[in-house]
Amino acid sequence: MNEQDFYQEFEVFSRKNPRSGLMHQFSLLAPNEEMAMILAQENFMRREEVMDVWVVPSSSIRHMTDEERQALTQRIDNKNYRTTKAYGYLRKKWQDKEQGMLDEQEIMSWKEVKKHRG
Amino acid sequence: MDKRNEALLDLLYQCADDDLLVSFRGSEWLGLAPHVEADVAFSSITQNTMGHAVYFYRLLQELGEGDVDVLAHERPALKRRNAIYLEKRNGDGQYDEDPYFDWALAVVRGYFYETYKRVKLISLTASSYEPLAICAKRILPEQRYHLAYWKEWMKQLQQSSPIAREKIRTRIEEAWSQSLDLFDFGQYEQTLLNEGYITDPLELKQQWLAELQSTVKDLPSRPLEQLKNGRNGEHTTDLDVALATLSEVYQTDPVAQW
Amino acid sequence: MYHYLEHQKGSNTNEDPILYENFMQRIENGDKIEANDWMPSEYRDTLIKLISMHGISEIMGALPEKEWVPKAPSLERKLAIMAKVQDEMGHGQLLLRVTEDLMKPYGRNRQHLMEDLLSGRLKFHNVFHMPTKTWADAGMVGWLVDGAAIISQTNMLDASYGPYQRALQRICKEEVFHAQHGESIIMALAEGTDAQQKILQDSLNRWWPSLLMFFGPASAETTGSSKQEITIKYNIRKSTNEELRQAFLDKYMPRVFSLGLTVPDETMHYDDVQEKWIYQQPDWNEFKQIIQNKGPRSKERLKVREIAYSNNSWVREALAVAGGDRP
Repeated sequence: MNEQDFYQEFEVFSRKNPRSGLMHQFSLLAPNEEMAMILAQENFMRREEVMDVWVVPSSSIRHMTDEERQALTQRIDNKNYRTTKAYGYLRKKWQDKEQGMLDEQEIMSWKEVKKHRG
Repeated sequence: MDKRNEALLDLLYQCADDDLLVSFRGSEWLGLAPHVEADVAFSSITQNTMGHAVYFYRLLQELGEGDVDVLAHERPALKRRNAIYLEKRNGDGQYDEDPYFDWALAVVRGYFYETYKRVKLISLTASSYEPLAICAKRILPEQRYHLAYWKEWMKQLQQSSPIAREKIRTRIEEAWSQSLDLFDFGQYEQTLLNEGYITDPLELKQQWLAELQSTVKDLPSRPLEQLKNGRNGEHTTDLDVALATLSEVYQTDPVAQW
Repeated sequence: MYHYLEHQKGSNTNEDPILYENFMQRIENGDKIEANDWMPSEYRDTLIKLISMHGISEIMGALPEKEWVPKAPSLERKLAIMAKVQDEMGHGQLLLRVTEDLMKPYGRNRQHLMEDLLSGRLKFHNVFHMPTKTWADAGMVGWLVDGAAIISQTNMLDASYGPYQRALQRICKEEVFHAQHGESIIMALAEGTDAQQKILQDSLNRWWPSLLMFFGPASAETTGSSKQEITIKYNIRKSTNEELRQAFLDKYMPRVFSLGLTVPDETMHYDDVQEKWIYQQPDWNEFKQIIQNKGPRSKERLKVREIAYSNNSWVREALAVAGGDRP
């Protein structure tokens, strides 16, 4: 009987609502994942909205090392072509042709399509 | 007051006092559980349960029985309607001096009581007293977690070391000889059933046993027994001590604003 | 809760000067250091001392207030103080987790922290060695002791150690509820009956020296041990003990006086020229005694913790065994 084996580490993630991604909350100690699950919500989300909880053994997570974080997360700020920034000039062009810009707000609004009878 | 009304009040006192005593015992445990994370989670259950007691006391207040704090803090043991097993102290010693509390008792009582509360609340959702039915419907979803928590502890400890299995077994034996009055609705029981306020306790006991059998190996085969009947105002000295503690500050000036 | 860290032996080991230089550069840049990053052992050991004491003080700090949880004078008060003490245990959980990750290279975990506390190696904060004699004390702990704790914890909200800083963010958000919870108890007593006002004033009189001691002595010379310089060097905290004490007095003295309360120090006043509060020094020798577990309730509190820990150790042992055969 080794009391030390009681203290297994788990990382706790939660989702606030069906549209939100998982958020890392914190970590806890528990003897197994079932116990970790039953403890997670009241330890970290007593006052928060929550609709889903994940617990993961901390040892299962491959995190970046210090060097990797410093080495692999650097980028030159020259990637406008990946974003809408590069295409801002279109707004004026379309305006001249009396058309609106298909920006994020416009495109995300397309989820509603007019219903046709029959 | 007609008998129907007295019966209803008595039932509400049973519900309120059960939850008050369970949450009082839980509040003594705060900070003392065998594992910090389990302590924090347990306290949420305790707070929820005290919130349920407040809900039931409020139903009594609405029926003219007096302020919720008067009902919780001033009624003498003789007037208390909680089942005996729920007032039982957490183990040996005092919570603030030498808390030799027993986690096996917490687990067995937690699991037995929350299972009981669940079948009772389900019955109450169909109560002919509408405010009580509404109350039961509101409490049920929150109470699920309480049962899940204690059931997990029960399952895991039963599958663990010989010491833990023995401690759990001893506490189950003890519960068996002290919890019959959970399934007694007191002197107005017949009226309660006739008026459709709640289901026959024998039926609830069958449902309770069925759930217990799904989780506990080797439940005692003998019938449940009781030391005293809390539903009739019979209580142990454990309740006297509990009431003295929970009303200690309140009693220094019951009319002051605290 | 870090000001009387004992002097750490062997901190000035032969660190790789280049690594050390890079590390200090990161500290100066305001980078956050993460658990698995390279760090000088002085930094690691300072953090372990600081955060383990902070965490274990939360766990021990639950006890004096908890004495009043079952006794709180109304159902609402019972619920509120329960939620508050639960948070303290929760803060302990967060801080112990942060410490445990830092201690990993030394092969130590929570069990060792608890054992260190019980053996007296790991100290807990001076205020939690004091008795809570009346309900007003429960209010005083919630109001002024927590107020002092909020001052010292918010001072580290930008701490260079990422996991600590993130835990503090969580903690300080909950402290807002704690601050108001304490104020609510105090306000009811201050506006209550003569007897209620009396227990409130008595409580403040008793707690006053502990509140001044809360932030530790102004300099190490007073007690012979202080790590405030090191914690400032590594950008863990920003201000000195005395600066924090003055900030506490700035925030709370006007409130104390506005409730018609007095403090048991006739010399206490704000000096407009020096722009600081002048107060009589508490007995720092007593402080040294208290933090050596020789305070008025040190033995009793440790005894409660010891019983709670040992009496149910069978639970942890049982599930440690079971843990092996579970998926």
